[in-house]
Amino acid sequence: MNAATGSGAPATSPAILSPRTPGVRLKVEQASYAYAATDRSAPKFTLGPTSFEANQREMVAILGPNASGKSTLLTLLAGMARPLSGRIEVDGVEVSMLDLRTRAQRIALVQQESELLFPLRVWEYVLQGRYPYGKRLRFESEEDCLLAGNALAQVGADALRDRWMDQLSGGEKQRVILARALAQQPSLLLLDEPTQHLDIGGKVELLRRLRRLADDSRYTVLVVTHELNLAAEFSDRIVLLHKGKCLRVGTPAEVYDRALLEEVFEAPLDVEMRESGRPRVILGGNH
Amino acid sequence: MIPTWRGRFAAALLSALISSAALVVARDRVQSATQTSGPAYGVPRPLPLEVTDEVGRRVKLPREVKRIVTLAPNLTETIYALGLQDRLVADTNFCDTPPAAKWKAHVGDPQNPNLEAIVALQPDLVLATTSINRVETADALKQLGIAVYTTDPQTVRGMLDSVQHMASTIGEENRGAELVGRLQQRLDALRAQLSDRPMVHVLFVVWDQPLITIGQNTFIADALRFAGAESVVLSKQQWPHLSIEEVVRLQPDYLVFTSDHGPVATTLADLRARPVWRDLDAVETGHVVNVSEEAIRPSPGLVDAIEQLAHEVHSEAFAEKRENRNAKFATRVTPMTLGRAGQECNQCAR
Amino acid sequence: MRPLTPRRVAWICAGLGVVLFAAAVISLRMGAYPISVVDIVKTLFSGAVGHWEGIPSEYRSIVFNIRLPRILLGILVGASLSTAGAGFQALLRNPLADPYVLGVSSGAALGAIISLIVAPHTPGAIQLAAFAGAAATTAAVYFLGRRGGQLDSATLLLAGIVAASFLSAIIMFLMTTLSGRDLRGMAFWLMGDLGSTLPTNPLPWFEGLFAVFVLAAGAIYATSSDLNLILTGEQEARHLGVNVHRVKLVVYIAASVLTGLAVSVSGTIGYVGLLVPHVMRMMFGTDYRLLIPTSAIGGAILVVLADTLARSVVSPTELPVGAMTALAGAPVFIYLMRRRVR
Repeated sequence: MNAATGSGAPATSPAILSPRTPGVRLKVEQASYAYAATDRSAPKFTLGPTSFEANQREMVAILGPNASGKSTLLTLLAGMARPLSGRIEVDGVEVSMLDLRTRAQRIALVQQESELLFPLRVWEYVLQGRYPYGKRLRFESEEDCLLAGNALAQVGADALRDRWMDQLSGGEKQRVILARALAQQPSLLLLDEPTQHLDIGGKVELLRRLRRLADDSRYTVLVVTHELNLAAEFSDRIVLLHKGKCLRVGTPAEVYDRALLEEVFEAPLDVEMRESGRPRVILGGNH
Repeated sequence: MIPTWRGRFAAALLSALISSAALVVARDRVQSATQTSGPAYGVPRPLPLEVTDEVGRRVKLPREVKRIVTLAPNLTETIYALGLQDRLVADTNFCDTPPAAKWKAHVGDPQNPNLEAIVALQPDLVLATTSINRVETADALKQLGIAVYTTDPQTVRGMLDSVQHMASTIGEENRGAELVGRLQQRLDALRAQLSDRPMVHVLFVVWDQPLITIGQNTFIADALRFAGAESVVLSKQQWPHLSIEEVVRLQPDYLVFTSDHGPVATTLADLRARPVWRDLDAVETGHVVNVSEEAIRPSPGLVDAIEQLAHEVHSEAFAEKRENRNAKFATRVTPMTLGRAGQECNQCAR
Repeated sequence: MRPLTPRRVAWICAGLGVVLFAAAVISLRMGAYPISVVDIVKTLFSGAVGHWEGIPSEYRSIVFNIRLPRILLGILVGASLSTAGAGFQALLRNPLADPYVLGVSSGAALGAIISLIVAPHTPGAIQLAAFAGAAATTAAVYFLGRRGGQLDSATLLLAGIVAASFLSAIIMFLMTTLSGRDLRGMAFWLMGDLGSTLPTNPLPWFEGLFAVFVLAAGAIYATSSDLNLILTGEQEARHLGVNVHRVKLVVYIAASVLTGLAVSVSGTIGYVGLLVPHVMRMMFGTDYRLLIPTSAIGGAILVVLADTLARSVVSPTELPVGAMTALAGAPVFIYLMRRRVR
């Protein structure tokens, strides 16, 4: 299971590191949201009723241009806000009903890192992912260290263990943040535009890794992105959002319809089907 | 070490119990140690006398007051004036009048005297005053079981009363009465000589940059009145700030400067060179007087300064007095016709 | 990977405790009145067992009524200020934050001045009024510093600075209209003064103060894991399960209580809350589970040593403690800053 991640990675049984329950991992049913700046002004943004499902070992891409409601949906999925209507369930439990710690044990969110105030080593940072397990004032146990080490190995960042966080490159930092999320042993892994600051090599490497995590370690991975081709290449399902509305849910081949994409992204596009069955989007004529 | 968890727990509990017990016992002992009921010094002395000082504090005195510590220059001066300097074991760094006071042991400065040093001297009585000492000092000394008498002179008359009280507290009422009597006599004589003279209007300058003068309820204002002078500024504050424009409007007859400390104009020539100041009537006519700070303390020497100031501003009333001046006065009050402040004025020609 | 263990925390604190003990011993030894170490030990021992033969009464007076209270007060004030400083630095996400930046000290000073005007000779009035002023300012800044019902670091900082300036202006106004006598007392208070008058029976008073310290510092310590996470980002911390809102509130109140406590008994002693957490960070790392206790002990050491210096450098004159804390703390800080190897 860990052969792909390189040397030095301790061999562990999948049971320790992989998330737990089988079946439908994530179920979104008619979830909608309105966010108003003040009580009196008109709602600032809405997410229309959206439904989709995701299982173990699946990678879902939430796709759309800027201001399409992707971040709102992510906030709802992370349980940070309650949907105005509908339900969002993870492992059969309504997400916004969970208390903070239990939620952190099920769902991990990977965002762009805020600036660190004080210097921190990589392993310290990753160990923080174990916070949801145990009492409020806690000292890490040996098991915690083992799991953190495994998380680092899973993202191929084992060699970075003793480095300082602010000395890492963008890609390295990305991996470490991902490792911290993995240390939470979540069922659901959410990523918010993770490829933003990476070059093409970095983007591909990250998505390959996420794919491996989904396949081998049975995570359910949800990536919010606007990268059409990467989403098509690596994800099992696409949720296409446009101006707060969920336009289509399905496999990449089902969702990537030329007219639809042109309307959503407001650019001349062409869709090609490749032998793998996955579509590819290129710039169309008239440009 | 102890192998089992239960054993470790028991050991921890036991040591916790023992330490708590020790702490409780020590605590009680320390508590009684810090309570200062009764005398602080080795052999208990009879404390028959109890007086109330000028701020309302009850002071328990020993029968004989042989060792005195003063915490302010005016109190030191008073002790010397009463002739009791042999009983003075220590004063402050600032006590320089008379010069002999500088050679006494010091306990620090009046604002923050060293409590340990005071305790070490084992004084029978410590003298403090509200005009320069802090309340906290007197409180702290009282906590340590040391008798502290605080004076609170607000007026010249009050200063004379303080002198009397201090003398009585030390057990030397007669000396006190004598000194106060002499001083009072001089003040009465002065008042008689000035009885038909109108008050001279003066501006008393405490600091010139910014311009600070005295309020009407201050000790200095009262002293001025005894010299036949009235401050042109009427203010309820103690040290009101003033603009030079206001001085121009008020046009005092005399300017009185304090000297010895700080950047105050020290010569008439300086004032004549300053814009706005040089156009003041008082500067044009040379009616500028310098008073040394020591002279305006609530102490017996104040009477000298009052007399001298009266001589300056009411010179017509004292036609024959030039010859009677002696060197001691010259350093306290000098007209600023020539020379820098504080120096003896040999060439005062008026 | 060597995570922090309770044992490591205990060892480091024990080591620092030894240093504190040594500082206290030195402080007991220093003073205008010469008492040898042997005599000091004998006096302490007599105090503990209650037999006073052979001990001159000045020794008892000086050791138990002058020096020991100052040392205890110094420990209390130093520990409170450093712990509060560490807490505020995390709360405000600003390494330059010190306990006074949110205006608590100005509020306390205003309370002190008002008590000097209204009740100048009442014992204990200035402390109570100062603490009341501190509490009122804490509440006011809390309500000003909220954003969307929650404490927002940037807004809080602004609200605190505004409050501090406003209160300082009022204090200046009052000081120019007060009589000369009160001005002097206030000047000492503003410079920091460990020689405050104790009540007749000081032990229960000290016990009360230490109890408040333990409660407030304990509350902050209980959030130290949370603070470690919050320092990597509030959003991230929330997603890891930290109740950020509640942690911030707890830290805000507890740190303000500690600051109010310190300021009301000894005036404003500066630099302790700012320097000590940084020095401890440089020596022992940024983990708050270790930083809180080390800051507390380190602050106690700094204030005790600074006070000792202040008392003995130009004896019998005493210098203000605040000047000494800056003089003592800054060079150590600079030295560590240059030595830091990454």
